[in-house]
Amino acid sequence: MKYLSFHLRTALKNFGRNKVRTFLTSLGILIGVLSVVILIALGVGLRNYIEGQFASLGTNLIFVLPGQVLSEGGGFQDPGIGGITFDERDVKSLQRTPQVEYVVPLINKPVTVEANGISKSGSVFGGTADMFVIFNLEAQRGELFTASDVGKRSKSVVIGSTLAVDLFGDVDSAVGQKVVVANQRFSVIGVLKEKGGGGFGGPSYDSGVFLPYTTAFTGISPDKNFAAIYLGAVKDADIDQLVTDAETILLKRYKKDDFSVVKQTEILNAITSIFGIINTVLLAIGSISLVVGGIGIMNIMYANVTERTKEVGIRRAIGATKRDILMQFLAESILLSLFGGVGGLLLAVLIVLVVQQFFPLAINSTSVVAALGISTAIGVFFGVFPARRAANLAPIEAIRYE
Amino acid sequence: MIEAKNVSKVYSVADGDFYALKDVSVSIKDKEYVSILGTSGSGKSTLMHIIGLLDRPTSGEILIDGKKIETFSDNQLSTIRGQKIGFVFQQFNLIQKLTVLENILLPTVYAKHKMQFNAKEYAMELLKRFGIEHRADFYPNKLSGGQQQRVAIARALIMKPTIVLADEPTGNLDSKTGEEILQLLETLNKELGVTICIVTHDKTVAHRTKRQIFVKDGEIVKKY
Repeated sequence: MKYLSFHLRTALKNFGRNKVRTFLTSLGILIGVLSVVILIALGVGLRNYIEGQFASLGTNLIFVLPGQVLSEGGGFQDPGIGGITFDERDVKSLQRTPQVEYVVPLINKPVTVEANGISKSGSVFGGTADMFVIFNLEAQRGELFTASDVGKRSKSVVIGSTLAVDLFGDVDSAVGQKVVVANQRFSVIGVLKEKGGGGFGGPSYDSGVFLPYTTAFTGISPDKNFAAIYLGAVKDADIDQLVTDAETILLKRYKKDDFSVVKQTEILNAITSIFGIINTVLLAIGSISLVVGGIGIMNIMYANVTERTKEVGIRRAIGATKRDILMQFLAESILLSLFGGVGGLLLAVLIVLVVQQFFPLAINSTSVVAALGISTAIGVFFGVFPARRAANLAPIEAIRYE
Repeated sequence: MIEAKNVSKVYSVADGDFYALKDVSVSIKDKEYVSILGTSGSGKSTLMHIIGLLDRPTSGEILIDGKKIETFSDNQLSTIRGQKIGFVFQQFNLIQKLTVLENILLPTVYAKHKMQFNAKEYAMELLKRFGIEHRADFYPNKLSGGQQQRVAIARALIMKPTIVLADEPTGNLDSKTGEEILQLLETLNKELGVTICIVTHDKTVAHRTKRQIFVKDGEIVKKY
């Protein structure tokens, strides 16, 4: 312990005498660690964000989607253009499976919403009253439409809070007003609580117009097709059984490759694996700057060894072994690299704290451990060659060196 | 006691072999005060480096306290150098970024065994004896040449070595300061019984010691 602190103190004294050089050498590692930590934070933040969006949907959810959504490896694949669409007949047959609690067909289209002479872009969500349950949406003003509104094709809509503010100034005055979508007038019966973000790659609920799908069939979506059907399983039901049953039903009408029945967990797994790949790629890019920083350390350490040849000679003469000299220079390069690592980490934390106001970045313990571990490893790897040169200097040559 | 038996040091040069030392045998007994005298290029420095275990002979053997060192590893040599031999150099060779006290204690850091005595107390005792205890926390560049050489001597003594090898210890000092250093070495030999070997080209310096070993062209020509 005393021996270790001796080497650390020696290294610190050297840094004190070469402040500018120490700073510049550490800067290389600082930038490398900074970029790696920020890139990891970006990857982790994105993944957390998207997983969070899915988690808010509840775990008993199954998606019925056109085309083959998941590849065999578990990743996403392009569903292809011109896939099939679902209609009310599919909804009715799916409702007959025993494990299903609700079936929500979904129409989702970008539209222009007008009111008071203002027009805003938003998206229509046409579904059943259970749509609010699966999306976890609640009214903050007014009320949500009900199953009877679906039956009556009533011209009532619920709008997102952003849209309400944009069109009517505030959420309170929106209820009871009229909005025009696709040349049809609708009454606003409720405004949703703010949700933030959107679904998976989808539009934001906060600028959405929610209405019964039956109403959407009368004008907004006259082709009477659904882009997707969401199935909610009875609580504690066998989800896999529901998937099998739904597939059996749909296979009567469609070919196997034309549709997918996907559990939410499968989509989550696919997302996780995609972000795993993205993270690895980002990490590899960031590592380049770390290697460059490491070479900087190596360069300076070689210069250090040459400059201090005489000192090495003196130390050897008074009893230092090769290993003592090796440790002395290694301690220096590790400390140099660690300075950069800690500095980069602190700077990254600051940046993440600022950026978090706009975008969900996240620093996890892995990136902290990685930053410190990697900078130590760089110190060892790039320091060991110069340190070995110092250790292998012949004492007699070294002490004569001027 | 240090003994060199039939020691040769040969360097290969363009036109054959050059003998820096040729079949040299010499022994320095405990508590001796001795000098190795020779002109520049005589081989006296090579002899000192070999006795001081900084260099290995091409042939012959070195015994320290009866132990043959030729079979020793580099690690063992370093350890023996630290424990048994103290060096004093013409250029003082203090480490500039360490304080006086840290310089003196440096050999103890490299000592792998536990010290038998309180090294820091001993260092302060030496500084006091040399009249520079008020300089303990100074850096070497704030000290005069004479003071720096005293620090170097204290560093050479801190491990209580078998022998102190002093390579032209007065070479970088004015005659008055040089005289003080010589007196100091003499007192250390007389009062503490430290074995001291001065390597010098200066006959007047050499004649201060009790015995002179005269080296010329790599051979010992005269022993007194």
